[in-house]
Amino acid sequence: MKQRITLGIAGALAAALALAGCSAGQSVDIGGSGNSSGQTLVAAIGGEPDQLDPQKTSSYFAFEVLENVYDTLVQPDASLEMQPALAESWTTSDDQLTWTFTLRDGVKFQDGSDFTSEDVVYSYRRIIDEELSNAWKFATVSDVSAPDDKTVVITVSQPTPNLLSNLGGFKGMAVVEKSNVESGDITTKPVGTGPFSVSDYVAGDHITLTANPDYWGGAPKLGGVEYRFISEPATALASLKAGDIDWTDVVPTQQVSQLAGDSSVTLGQTPSSDYWYLALNEAKSPWNDVRVRQAIAYAIDRDAIIQAVSYGTAEPNQLAIPQQSFWYTAYDGYSTDLDKAKQLMAEAGFTGGTLDLLATSDYPETVTAAQIIAANLEPLGIQVSIRQPDFSTWLDEQNSGNFDMLMMGWLGNIDPDDFYYAQHHTGGASNAQKFSDAEVDKLLDAGRVETDKDARKDLYAQAATIIADKASYIYLYNPSVLQVWSPKVQGYEARADRAIRFKDASLSE
Amino acid sequence: MRIAPAQLVRFLGARLLSSAVVLLGVLIVVFALVHLVPGDPVRLALGTRYTPEAYDALRAASGLDRSLPEQFFSYIAHAVTGDLGVSFRNGQPVTTTLLQRLPATISLALVGLIIALLISVPAGVYSALREGRVSDVIVRLTSQFGVSVPDFWLGLLLISLFSVTLGLLPASGYVAFADDPAGWLRQVTLPGLTVGLVAGAIMTRYIRAAVIDVASAGYIRTAVSKGLPRRVVVSRHIVRGALVPVLTIAGIQLATILGGVIVVEVVFAWPGLGRLVYDAVAARDYPLIQGAVLLVAVMFIVVNLIVDVLYAVVDPRIRAA
Repeated sequence: MKQRITLGIAGALAAALALAGCSAGQSVDIGGSGNSSGQTLVAAIGGEPDQLDPQKTSSYFAFEVLENVYDTLVQPDASLEMQPALAESWTTSDDQLTWTFTLRDGVKFQDGSDFTSEDVVYSYRRIIDEELSNAWKFATVSDVSAPDDKTVVITVSQPTPNLLSNLGGFKGMAVVEKSNVESGDITTKPVGTGPFSVSDYVAGDHITLTANPDYWGGAPKLGGVEYRFISEPATALASLKAGDIDWTDVVPTQQVSQLAGDSSVTLGQTPSSDYWYLALNEAKSPWNDVRVRQAIAYAIDRDAIIQAVSYGTAEPNQLAIPQQSFWYTAYDGYSTDLDKAKQLMAEAGFTGGTLDLLATSDYPETVTAAQIIAANLEPLGIQVSIRQPDFSTWLDEQNSGNFDMLMMGWLGNIDPDDFYYAQHHTGGASNAQKFSDAEVDKLLDAGRVETDKDARKDLYAQAATIIADKASYIYLYNPSVLQVWSPKVQGYEARADRAIRFKDASLSE
Repeated sequence: MRIAPAQLVRFLGARLLSSAVVLLGVLIVVFALVHLVPGDPVRLALGTRYTPEAYDALRAASGLDRSLPEQFFSYIAHAVTGDLGVSFRNGQPVTTTLLQRLPATISLALVGLIIALLISVPAGVYSALREGRVSDVIVRLTSQFGVSVPDFWLGLLLISLFSVTLGLLPASGYVAFADDPAGWLRQVTLPGLTVGLVAGAIMTRYIRAAVIDVASAGYIRTAVSKGLPRRVVVSRHIVRGALVPVLTIAGIQLATILGGVIVVEVVFAWPGLGRLVYDAVAARDYPLIQGAVLLVAVMFIVVNLIVDVLYAVVDPRIRAA
């Protein structure tokens, strides 16, 4: 008997610890009041949010929900330009060091309490003082104050042209309610000023939102939104076709071309501002030699990688920023050219050897791409050994510099500073590849304080070109945002920043 | 129950004591393992970009800045009082989260086991009594297929048939039995069938072997030579003799499903323990992993205990031992 128990437990343990994925929750019934006349749209997302505190979570699943519950001072429109939201207007002083925001009148939180400038100060101070993960967005902010109920003044230590993107780029910078934070309810029963409020949360199964009829931007057309957590694309698609759900972003990529011609579903596809890249560890020889890095950049077959990871749905890009952005810089310095690659290797005196490529099983595209890259580098005499730990281990390995090359993506950036500074400035917080170039540093520092938009664009174009020329990152592609919904869903569009906004959506009979 | 109450109490007392020791062992092992596995929960929670100060602040808030022995003893001290700590990720008590997952887990396990028994008992007994004949071969091949087929594929096949093509049953989701029994049944059918078919195939082979084993035992030959009709021999002697191995395999299967059938839960978006553990491990949510494994261990022990008590009921020889 005993033997069987211990064996069983050991088995359960082994199974539990041999795994990896994303989330847990709790059941809450808040019985929200709202517009019950509209219908409820059922949306399937790929996993459960870890928590619903917008300032603390880093999970995209949480933001898919919170996008509709919270507001920020400003928010990006469809072309990712910042527009008024909780702030209806703003001015900057002549020296660019003082930003004065005038808040919208008559805004209320979903529990009926008034929204004032104190709420903005409280929200920002919470991120800064508690050192939450987004505190870096306030790096240049020296003071946040509320001279009166309708005004917020932000003082910066140096001109900060990307302040608006920092304040409104995503719901991690949402304005939260002090009493909701202090009661601890914010993790499961968040209260915001957005178009929908959280009315029901059943752990592991669903989160239900109810329309907020008093929303400052007008009442939503839907009565509510129910989020379900379906991580298997085939199940999500089957649920959509069976009419159990109305919308999902859990899309089997290999079926995209088929879905495009399928009249029973609507496919939303748009290039995203996310990008995927390779980086070589410049703290190690031979990767510190720019010619070796360039050789690898000439050896990889971008189109083959894109075909394999996305069935051709991603956009090839040799820089980070996608074509539809104002900050886009055209660059095509590299092409697949083995002779050029061999020549560069010969010049560098590198005859080949092993390369440890760090991918992660949590992002399967890194593993798929790694296999193609391994085949690409073979003719150069480079044997690639692929590692694919889970993401948590991947982060540890990256931060301790334990890799020759790694593959990863950056998601959800809007301002060029977000795309380049932390990743490529000497000593930058995310510069795991240890790239260091005086010219790039100078340009990135200048871009941070240049307030003329065109001059700023030029600075980043120069910086980005050097970054690609010197192969700090070897950029691969911008993936597409892929979502499918029922033809009954009206007034919804897929966005480049992956924000899921159901405020203007409706369901026809 | 033809068992002396005093005997039963003694038996249960001894079992409870040894169970407590096993659980303490499980706690120690799990605690050591979660801390040995590479991966940093703080870094995962913060995402890809944050300041060193943000890292230190969250580490301190999670209690991870204390020494390991200190963390361990404080965990044990709280665990004995039923406090399994709070999740790193959402600050909810682990006990609450686990209890919320239980109904879905138990629903799937019981429905799966009932379907498995309905398949395996008749098929196994029938196949054994026709050992070597064509019908036996067919049952054996079918169960071999059921054992080998990936439950992932089986689940998707059932979805495409019953949800998409026939539109009879939902492909995903869960409804609590208390809220809507009919809805619960509609939701649990496909995942239950997937679990039940696979478990049933495993159990069929086991039961067939057990019945063949019993049928060749001496006391069965005695019964046959006494001139008892075949029907009586089969129903009264063979089936009863085969009950012990059937209980054993049913207990193991039940405990396994209770521990979470991750693949099936993922395919059907079922909010069971399996997915919870899977998610908790991915996020390195130590308190939640520890709590979930502890709960699985408790369920294993309880199921084993029930099986052992049933042994004593069905087989007098075990009682004497």
